[in-house]
Amino acid sequence: MADIVNLFEVEPGQTIRLYSEATAEVVSNPRDGVWLFVRYLSSPDDPDQVGQEDMVFAQDVIELVAE
Amino acid sequence: MAVANDPLAMLLLKQDVEAFLYHEANLLDDRRYEEWLELLTDDVRYWVPMRRNVKFGELEREFTREGQDINWFDEGKVTLTQRVRQILTGVHWAEEPLSRISHLVTNVEILDADPTPAEAGQVSLRCRFIIYRNRVETETDILVGRREDTLRRVDGDWRIAQRQVFLDQNVLLAKNLTFFF
Amino acid sequence: MAITFQPSAYSGLVDQENGMVSREIFVNSDIYAEEQERIFTRAWLFVGHESQVEKPGDFFVSSMGEESVILCRDREGEIHVFLNSCMHRGMKVCRYDEGNTPIFTCPYHGWSFATDGALVGVPFYKDAYHEELDKSQWSLIRVPRMINYKGGIWASWDPNAPDFLEYIGGFKTYLDILFDGWDGSEGGTELIGGIEKWMVPSNWKFPAENFIGDRYHNISHRSVDLVGIGPSGQGRRDNREREGAKSLDVSFPERGHGTVMFLRPEDAQPVESYQNDPVVAEYFYQCEIARKERQGQLWRILAGPGTIFPNMSFLPRQPRSIAVWHPRGPDQTEVWRWFLVDKTAPPEVKEFLRQYYIRYSGPAGLTEQDDMENWNYAHSASRGAMARRHHYNYQMGMGYAVTDFEDGGLKLDGTVLDTTKARAGEQNQRGFYSRWREFMAARDWDELATWRKGGSAC
Repeated sequence: MADIVNLFEVEPGQTIRLYSEATAEVVSNPRDGVWLFVRYLSSPDDPDQVGQEDMVFAQDVIELVAE
Repeated sequence: MAVANDPLAMLLLKQDVEAFLYHEANLLDDRRYEEWLELLTDDVRYWVPMRRNVKFGELEREFTREGQDINWFDEGKVTLTQRVRQILTGVHWAEEPLSRISHLVTNVEILDADPTPAEAGQVSLRCRFIIYRNRVETETDILVGRREDTLRRVDGDWRIAQRQVFLDQNVLLAKNLTFFF
Repeated sequence: MAITFQPSAYSGLVDQENGMVSREIFVNSDIYAEEQERIFTRAWLFVGHESQVEKPGDFFVSSMGEESVILCRDREGEIHVFLNSCMHRGMKVCRYDEGNTPIFTCPYHGWSFATDGALVGVPFYKDAYHEELDKSQWSLIRVPRMINYKGGIWASWDPNAPDFLEYIGGFKTYLDILFDGWDGSEGGTELIGGIEKWMVPSNWKFPAENFIGDRYHNISHRSVDLVGIGPSGQGRRDNREREGAKSLDVSFPERGHGTVMFLRPEDAQPVESYQNDPVVAEYFYQCEIARKERQGQLWRILAGPGTIFPNMSFLPRQPRSIAVWHPRGPDQTEVWRWFLVDKTAPPEVKEFLRQYYIRYSGPAGLTEQDDMENWNYAHSASRGAMARRHHYNYQMGMGYAVTDFEDGGLKLDGTVLDTTKARAGEQNQRGFYSRWREFMAARDWDELATWRKGGSAC
């Protein structure tokens, strides 16, 4: 189990893995510690999501994906 | 600046500075305002900023800026002297009858001694204060915060050249600030 | 206390015929609760200044009556005022005083709102709400009426409130003096950074009626007058411009607003003031000349303190400032103070004024410290069972005002009491409380807009 990600430390351009097993690129960080603006890179449950932008909740962020 | 390498001189300096701060507090609490004014250099800067709630990572915006923004106080000796004269008119209703005030000065730390602790002509220090004000019958204010002072020796005696007061309040809970920090 | 708050009860509490006002309206907690409903949800209230929300995402947390609101500019550049309370469980979505943000995120369960109020972030939207929550129905509560008048942002909760300019009526002349540049240039003012906020143990109406034109309380300020903090080194203000001027108290009782002013003689010329600093003196002298040219007869008005019903007061001359008296229970007022200077004034003038404003105003101001003492103890000494049985006296100058004031070709709107010789009067306070009574008794804005039918609501 990865450590909890502190969203203040997440920078645009980084990739995160989500609770849904999707991965997404961080587009911008509102710096509230709770949400990130992202674009989906992969989404096994819902392939249509790929390329779409969304807001991601802190508890849905599982880990930062190493480059 | 040589704060660290002469511990004995530092100890003596701290003792000296603390004695000055307590003397100053006594003058204020004993309502000897004109004598208190004499403890200020002619070019004294006296600043009490207001304090905002700001987002994480934006603490540089927490305080209103000296010399630029509206502050609770941002002045020199002329205005401070006017404040004393006002209290001494006898018709300054906000201080008539006079409040009962105690300044508790604590956590005194010397930050800098120029040129050396043994021969300091100027020191900068940080301390904490509690100001207890009780007036008329039951009206009570307690103001707590941090103070950063610069003291300068003038003709052998310490004088206050700069005072910065950082109050631990956002909305000021006291109805007025008719006293000195 | 057996007061029943039928509309008729308020006639007894504000006795206009005899110039008396019951202390109950200041100290009674039931009346206070009624005020929140009847006044603060219906009147136009001052919220902030556009320069506080200059850029998209800028926000300033303000207050309307007791309630916290967010003034912000959305991504499209539009200004909004929202109730600062999450739609899910009510938590404040913003606990910062001001800043810039793309979203307001509730720290309780994480609902998140865009700067246009839209609910954009709902945690577990897919899993827990099954995507069935209609987010469009759960935007932040928007204050329905909002206006940016010369940089001042005003709002009202009542969709049926008249337009702001109708609400202000003839008082516009005086509000303009506050927001226009000293040379008369339209909306030529800007804020100095830093909003003063402090608590005063008094009912909110004490400061509101004080600012509406209480010339009688000059004795409160005896000590500062003795010391002399004015911009020419004497008194607490500059008085040379007032030489030969008439003192006039101007009330708009049908709206509740009022101000005091000095009316210079028809042949008056700009005089030098601000003598403590030659650059400042020259600046104001040139502004006076420019304003006289621009405004003609209206230039003769030297505006004094005023109040726009219910709780916005201002000083249009130095220290040029806005005060809002936020109600915080019958016995507490949270005062907020904004300070204005001319946008185009040279830095030296702005700095001179900043220093003057600080030493004059607010809890540390040499002038206003004494006001707080008086409001505090006037209020507390009115709370007792015996004290409440006695009305305050507002009889000064009753019957001496005129509604057709004219002087040297200048006609003034409103009810005007000439206090040049009298030196003081209380018609402005009477106007304020007669409007208070109407607000407390009237059912809706159809009744409150009395000027439309030329009558009174009560």
